[in-house]
Amino acid sequence: MTEGSILTDDFLRELINVGEVDILIGVPTYNHAGTVGQVVQAIRTGLLKYFPRQRSVIINADGGSKDATQELVRAASISDLQHGPSLHALRTLHSISTQYPGGPANGAALHTVLAAAELLRATTCVVISPDSTNIEPEWLESLLRPVSRDGIDLVLPLYRRNKFDGLLVRNLVYPMTRALYCKRVREPYPAEFAFSGRLGGYFLGQEIWSQEVARAGAEIYMTISAIAGNFRLAQSFLGTKTRVDHVPADLVPAMRQTVGVLFWSLEQNFSIWSAHPDSQPIPTIGAEHEVSLDPIRVNRKRLHQMFVHGVAELEPVLESILSAPTLAELQSAASVAEEDFRYSNELWVRTVYEFAASHHKSVISRDHIVQALVPLYRGKTHTFLLENQDASADEVESNVEALCLAFERLKPYLLEKWDGRK
Amino acid sequence: MALPQDLLWYKDAVIYQVHVRAFCDSNGDGIGDFRGLAQKLDYLQDLGITALWMMPFFPSPLRDDGYDIADYRSVHPNYGTLEDFKLFLEAAHQRGIRVIIEMVLNHTSDQHLWFQESRSSPANPRRDWYVWSETDTRYRGARIIFVDTELSNWAWDPVSKAYYWHRFFSHQPDLNYDNPAVREEMWNVMKFWLDMGVDAFRLDAVPYLVEREGTNCENLPETHAIMKDFRARLEQQFPGRMILAEANQWPADLRQYFGDGDEFHMAFHFPLMPRMFMGLKLEDRKPITEILQQTPTIPESCQWCLFLRNHDELTLEMVTDMERDYMYDEYARDKSMRLNLGIRRRLAPLLDNDRRRVELMNGMLMSLPGTPIIYYGDEIGMGDNVNLGDRNGVRTPMQWSGGWNGGFSSADPESLYSPLMLNPVYGYQSVNVQSQKRFEHSLLSWMKHLIEARKSTPLFGRGSIEFLYPANHRVLAYVRQLGKDTVLVVNNLSSSAQAVELDLRPYKGNILIEMFGRNIFPRIGDLPYLLTMGPYQFYWFRLRRI
Repeated sequence: MTEGSILTDDFLRELINVGEVDILIGVPTYNHAGTVGQVVQAIRTGLLKYFPRQRSVIINADGGSKDATQELVRAASISDLQHGPSLHALRTLHSISTQYPGGPANGAALHTVLAAAELLRATTCVVISPDSTNIEPEWLESLLRPVSRDGIDLVLPLYRRNKFDGLLVRNLVYPMTRALYCKRVREPYPAEFAFSGRLGGYFLGQEIWSQEVARAGAEIYMTISAIAGNFRLAQSFLGTKTRVDHVPADLVPAMRQTVGVLFWSLEQNFSIWSAHPDSQPIPTIGAEHEVSLDPIRVNRKRLHQMFVHGVAELEPVLESILSAPTLAELQSAASVAEEDFRYSNELWVRTVYEFAASHHKSVISRDHIVQALVPLYRGKTHTFLLENQDASADEVESNVEALCLAFERLKPYLLEKWDGRK
Repeated sequence: MALPQDLLWYKDAVIYQVHVRAFCDSNGDGIGDFRGLAQKLDYLQDLGITALWMMPFFPSPLRDDGYDIADYRSVHPNYGTLEDFKLFLEAAHQRGIRVIIEMVLNHTSDQHLWFQESRSSPANPRRDWYVWSETDTRYRGARIIFVDTELSNWAWDPVSKAYYWHRFFSHQPDLNYDNPAVREEMWNVMKFWLDMGVDAFRLDAVPYLVEREGTNCENLPETHAIMKDFRARLEQQFPGRMILAEANQWPADLRQYFGDGDEFHMAFHFPLMPRMFMGLKLEDRKPITEILQQTPTIPESCQWCLFLRNHDELTLEMVTDMERDYMYDEYARDKSMRLNLGIRRRLAPLLDNDRRRVELMNGMLMSLPGTPIIYYGDEIGMGDNVNLGDRNGVRTPMQWSGGWNGGFSSADPESLYSPLMLNPVYGYQSVNVQSQKRFEHSLLSWMKHLIEARKSTPLFGRGSIEFLYPANHRVLAYVRQLGKDTVLVVNNLSSSAQAVELDLRPYKGNILIEMFGRNIFPRIGDLPYLLTMGPYQFYWFRLRRI
């Protein structure tokens, strides 16, 4: 690989063979042999069905898989070397794979995809998660059409989710992004999303790619950049999103990739989020949201214990992050029995905003600040699960909306803390 | 001049298709004729073509441009006399140009004496020369070909009070090939022209000769048996003469028309042509390589006929619905350009008058396996007139000069059989033989060079082909080989410059000699052979081990 380039010579040679394209599909992977074959086949079907005339390419940016991931992606190619039953494809479809250096990282994968998109002058791009085994060919149309037909720059997904799935997004990422950046983006940290070549080029040109924040949470930063850069956003309903079971150990990296980047972005975009008024909806294609109510077994008691222990063990850290009244309220909440414990929206929003302000001021290591939020988030999750235990879909949505409004209402509180005034 | 005695002459031929009516008018009546055509044989010889295929010139009411024949043994008075034809034939042979004439076996005009007699009475001896029925419900499996004009393959004859069978226009009743007398008479018609010295027949609409209930009435074994009988007679009585099948069919169905080398010598490769246009527009070789992969091997003595455009619409029968929609959208967005299941346009307008694309398509035509056919006027980039009805827009007068009537005729312009092209882009003042002869880099001059290169080796007509499948799908590359003679052809189907790496290791040690400029390219080694190509550029390289 040429020094300073993220593209290997072999990959570049493959891109030369692909040439200019209309549609580029990026699939970031790392040891996804169990699922990626199914995903790329669905992508191929979607392209043949909905975009048969467009010049398309599937680009697999792999983090160093040791399994058959790359071979499975390459097998989705359609070329004149293949014999047997005709696929009724007008065109050649290249499905190529490359490994980027430095080990698996979504940001590095996205960086590779963006670089390929710019070189191939792709006008419409989409990123698909390699473990979305329930992907339907229609997802391609739902994501790509708003870009190619309507001139949208970033199309974010809407899923049918279980009411207890995507809790970090529901309780923090969505409401806070909405309150601060004033766009009602339900999935600011998307697993699947489409974007215009224009936005891709803009994002590729950002000076973030050497920073940890891009390596860990490029997707949410792309959403924020698109909002900050006044690009046109829309969201498109895709259908059911397979529930990914999170083990507790996953929460810290997830928090870094989302909340950490969101906090960091506030630094970059102060003039934007501090000036914006109330949130506005963005164009939505298909259903606005759907919630399924299938019962899911969650250990609430364990969440409560982790909250209580966290508040106790992290007291010195929390003292440096939170205001005294907020910490006192938290400690008070942690002292009550589990069945009586509630983490109110008001307290949660103040907690989060004080964390954001402390992150800005770097009162301690920023990474420690983000990590310290994890046990508190577990407490909020406990309350969300309890309050929505028997809730209908509308009631769940109503509760999420109430939290969002709390984040919006208390935005001046963040500004106050941000400036350092108490 | 005696023609070479090579029995396989058609494999090396470069055929030029022409309407007598459209080429040159010698007597000032506004219609081209055989004397005019004979006057232009020097032009054709200079162009380098080796065979001339003429559309029907027989007496006819001309309701289907002569494919509705009213007398098989004569010449339409518009075009001259039988004597004029003989003189033309002799003149062509003197220049080494063979003559292929049209023979419409399947049907006649309803004005033909045979049909007049047949319809006159059920008792007439020629009643069974055509296919009559009391009902219009027989042979329902047969599709309607001219879907824009015909509702049924049966037509009611008020004279005969019965229905007659017609696969094309209703004024073209099908002959009844189950009748031995018809078969015998049609052979006698062919023999009439063969005795005169005609070199070959292009046999029109051959899949439809015989009808059988419960079938689609196409490609039936009985039809093949008839053709094999004609071929056997031809071999026996006129060795070295050739028959060419017009059968717009899929390759697998077309294959049957070659038999075991005992049916047709040649057949048009209909499915390839639209895919060449498709590949060019998609900038992707896939449609071309795929159809050639599906093309079956044919007997050694047989040959495919390749063409880009002809007197008919650019037929889209042999493509999928998705491909047809694509072709319409890309090449005939204006619906007036569409006819039946095809596009009624000439080569240059189809390619937006882009010289590079015209050259590339002609380059592929001349280098893919088969015998190429050039449609008259395409060698100078003539345009079309979609405002003329049916397929007449691609049958306008040949444009010889910028003078009176484009040099085609001395008649008053109003009396020409068809209006001349007059627009500033394709009109005869802009596009004509005389002006293009003056410039070395004109399309006409370039076509001469191309034909010359094609004829410099028998490899293109007789050699094998091996596709190279470089990873760059915009590049179509193949190796043609005959004995020790090897030519590498590389075509860039893209509108942009391309880099391509070719795996030429089997030819390691050879140097490449570009066939048009005769420049030497680097020797082939172990590494992939890297070529960079401009938009729509193509190379023909002769491989030499020196």
